[in-house]
Amino acid sequence: MTVDTNVEGQLRKGYDRVDVPAPGGGKRSLTRKQFETLPLRERVSYLIEGTAQFFLDGQPISASEAMRS
Amino acid sequence: MSVARKALEMTQAAAEAIVQRAETRYDAHRQEILRSTDRMFALLMIGQWIFAIGVALIFSPYGWQGKVKTVHMHVWIALFLGAAIISLPVALAWRRPGELLTRHVIAAGQMLSSALLIHLSGGRIETHFHVFGSLAFLAFYRDWPVLLTGTVVVATEHLIRGILWPESVYGIPNPEWWRFLEHAFWVVFCISILIPSCRRGVRDMRVLAERGAELEALSENQWRKSSVVDRAAADARGDD
Repeated sequence: MTVDTNVEGQLRKGYDRVDVPAPGGGKRSLTRKQFETLPLRERVSYLIEGTAQFFLDGQPISASEAMRS
Repeated sequence: MSVARKALEMTQAAAEAIVQRAETRYDAHRQEILRSTDRMFALLMIGQWIFAIGVALIFSPYGWQGKVKTVHMHVWIALFLGAAIISLPVALAWRRPGELLTRHVIAAGQMLSSALLIHLSGGRIETHFHVFGSLAFLAFYRDWPVLLTGTVVVATEHLIRGILWPESVYGIPNPEWWRFLEHAFWVVFCISILIPSCRRGVRDMRVLAERGAELEALSENQWRKSSVVDRAAADARGDD
């Protein structure tokens, strides 16, 4: 495992969009701000189930990478 | 019960537990800030009281009644009125730290301590800076209504004392009638910056607690994945 020691690079990490399951099936795409305003219980459930797909600059990233900033 | 339903119930139970822990962490963090600020004010108020007595002893230790030299009224005011002002806030900070009433009583007491120091210094304008410093200290609570309590107390005190004994507040016997409004304006200016800062501080604490919950959820997800892998490996080996 390598550790990214580039502070500037670490600050730029995170996510700008996330896809979560839609209530009627399918997916809904949320901005980071929209995701962060969801109830905590809902966000936590997505993370436990692993059903949230995070994106940065259109590229999919892992949840653990998304949660770094 | 179907496997999918059981998995859903497990997720809901885990999410509930994680959210509860986040709430507990948030409450504990908030209480720690409130209690430590109460303790800080208890010490500050005792220090201010001693300082007020020192100011009275240095600037007006004695008075004269005819040819008789007496201890000046300011010394007694600093000693007894000062003790009266700080006794309830300090007692509450000691006995009931973290409670809503405690910090509002402290806010009122701190503003009255400012008033006492202003009086003892003969209404020196520089001593009014103590009010602004006190408002900044009250913002440590990150509880903006406390700032309103302080503002109401100091504005009311300035208004009443400005009418009854203007020299004690402004250092001159005939200030303009609107002088208290000028002082109130600067206090409102000060809290108009401090209130958003307090609200931001509380939001940051909430975000910190929620970030912890998200990381816990991630950890739970990883644990579940590894459990599935472990079980699959055990099945492949033919373990019981």
